Amino acid sequence: MNALNRLKNITMNPKAELKEAVASGKKVIGIMPYFCPEELVYAAGMLPFGLWGAEMQANESKQYYPAFICSILHTTLEMGLKGELDDLSAVMIPISCDSLKGMGANWEAGVKNVPVINVAFAENRKIAAGIEFTRSQFRKIQKQIEEIAGRTVSDDEIRKAITIYNENRCAILAFSKAAATHPAEVTAADRCAAIKAGYFMDRAAHTELLNEVTAELENLPASDEGYLKIVTTGIIADAPRLLDIIDKNKMVIVDDQIAHESVNARYVIPEAEDPVLAMAERLAEIEGCSVLYDPGKKRGTQLVEMAKNAGADGILFILTKFCDPEEYDYVPVKRMTDSASIPMLQIEIDQQMTDYGQPESAIMAFAESLR
Amino acid sequence: MADVYTMGIDIGSTASKCLILKNGTDISGYAVIGAGTGTSGPKRSVEQALSNAGITINEISGITATGYGRNTFSEADWIVSELSCHAIGIHAVFPDVRTLIDIGGQDAKAIRVSTTGKLENFVMNDKCAAGTGRFLDVMARVLELDVSELAERDAMAENVVNISSTCTVFAESEVISQLSNNVNICDLVAGIHRSVAVRTAGLAKRLGIVEPVAMSGGVALNSGAARALERELGIPVRIPPLPQINGAYGAAIYAWEHRKQER
Ligand code: SF4
Repeated sequence: MNALNRLKNITMNPKAELKEAVASGKKVIGIMPYFCPEELVYAAGMLPFGLWGAEMQANESKQYYPAFICSILHTTLEMGLKGELDDLSAVMIPISCDSLKGMGANWEAGVKNVPVINVAFAENRKIAAGIEFTRSQFRKIQKQIEEIAGRTVSDDEIRKAITIYNENRCAILAFSKAAATHPAEVTAADRCAAIKAGYFMDRAAHTELLNEVTAELENLPASDEGYLKIVTTGIIADAPRLLDIIDKNKMVIVDDQIAHESVNARYVIPEAEDPVLAMAERLAEIEGCSVLYDPGKKRGTQLVEMAKNAGADGILFILTKFCDPEEYDYVPVKRMTDSASIPMLQIEIDQQMTDYGQPESAIMAFAESLR
Repeated sequence: MADVYTMGIDIGSTASKCLILKNGTDISGYAVIGAGTGTSGPKRSVEQALSNAGITINEISGITATGYGRNTFSEADWIVSELSCHAIGIHAVFPDVRTLIDIGGQDAKAIRVSTTGKLENFVMNDKCAAGTGRFLDVMARVLELDVSELAERDAMAENVVNISSTCTVFAESEVISQLSNNVNICDLVAGIHRSVAVRTAGLAKRLGIVEPVAMSGGVALNSGAARALERELGIPVRIPPLPQINGAYGAAIYAWEHRKQER
């Protein structure tokens, strides 16, 4: 599986991708979670580079954030403060949650070499005024991107970028489906690494590699016998030790509602006269993510449906430590999975965690209770 | 037919417990050593349990390791989570128990046991030591008492003092300030027990309480803490005769059941 190995290598060393892009004369824009209009960056001929924290200890960031802020923000800020992201031409920072709201100001105060592009969406993203607000913000961001790129970006270029991103979204879903029946060939860590690589490389190239892996898997007999089928939900689930525990307990991820993985892939941008309006409309459609205002609490309903469709034995709610939106969501989600009689285990994860004893015991016990 | 011995070893964070079972039913020997994973505790607990049982390791036909340090015990034939072992262990003592509250050295768990003794569901505490055995150790030290004296002091309490159940460090400073106000130590001890009980009852309620309820783990040896939990839950709580080795007992039964299947 050459293509899979290439994707894994990219995920293992994203900074090498960043250096290589910059060396080839490409400008790179950091993209923080969630739902930034990165298609605009791509349309301007620059590389969008995902910033979802890293497995590391954060020290300097504690001058800007208290300890009880999620590790995605701490470790991303830490990398910025240490100059590890100085190759970026700018960083897009949205205001999707209370903790992210302070990120732009913290970044500006501490990271002198990388300017911030603030990203605001309408909280009421589904109403007409909300869609119009998001569209106008995206157009404003387009101007900032054009300034960095030193050229204008046409609607045609945005449409092309959207097509490439839409193809990538479909490729991620197809790969996830193929991986669901091939745990012997694609471990939980491989699955995550293959999807995650897209955050650091050209999306068209990512699609090509992913499609290659999917085609290879589809030609192999299923290898999921004896595995427990699991659906994951949460913000991020890329901790190698967590994924290793999932594998060790003979569990296979059959679908995910993880913001870092398939949530973004599940919704394509419709074709439209005004491509930026279409991007705002797509944002109004997305369900299943705690940072998007959801008065109907559809996340739980979607999760139950996903679990039923995939024939899942259980759900892992992977809670990012100190993430308020996720903690608020947990209760209604748990009520819905309980009433659908789908077992769900909550485990708490932190990128600065070194001891996995508790999640290991909990996942093992969960697997034992499901068998 | 020759007797068949199996062993269960529960390697916790602060203690190692080993139990030897004869023919799946009789406890031949057991040992509790106050040193957990990464220490000589596991080895010493095995040696002591074997010596109590009067047999050698060669006579053991199967070993199940459980607990936080389960993966470090290389002689194990099976590795099983402590939650499943606790469910098996309590089912063997009280077959009708459906909810088990286990308070160990550094964690607390509420476990739903099926009518056949299988782990059905569970909730574990978060990382803070509040509501665990460690919390009681810290408080006993502040009060210049041995943990074994806590139950007796609790029984003499008249006005239970309110102690925070959220954080061990905050609770410790609360206890210190109460001490400097000359509050009666017995009332303080009862407050500390209530604090553990509030926290643990919250955990059990998150799981949903199905009666009958039992309690295991080292803290169950402290009748003050056990009474406080009963008061907090408003229902009786049963304690097995050997609460601290319930996990090791379940592990030894697991080994017996699996050897039996192989025969
Ligand atoms: S949504 Fe949660 S995980 Fe994401 S940045 Fe905000 S607090 Fe952190």
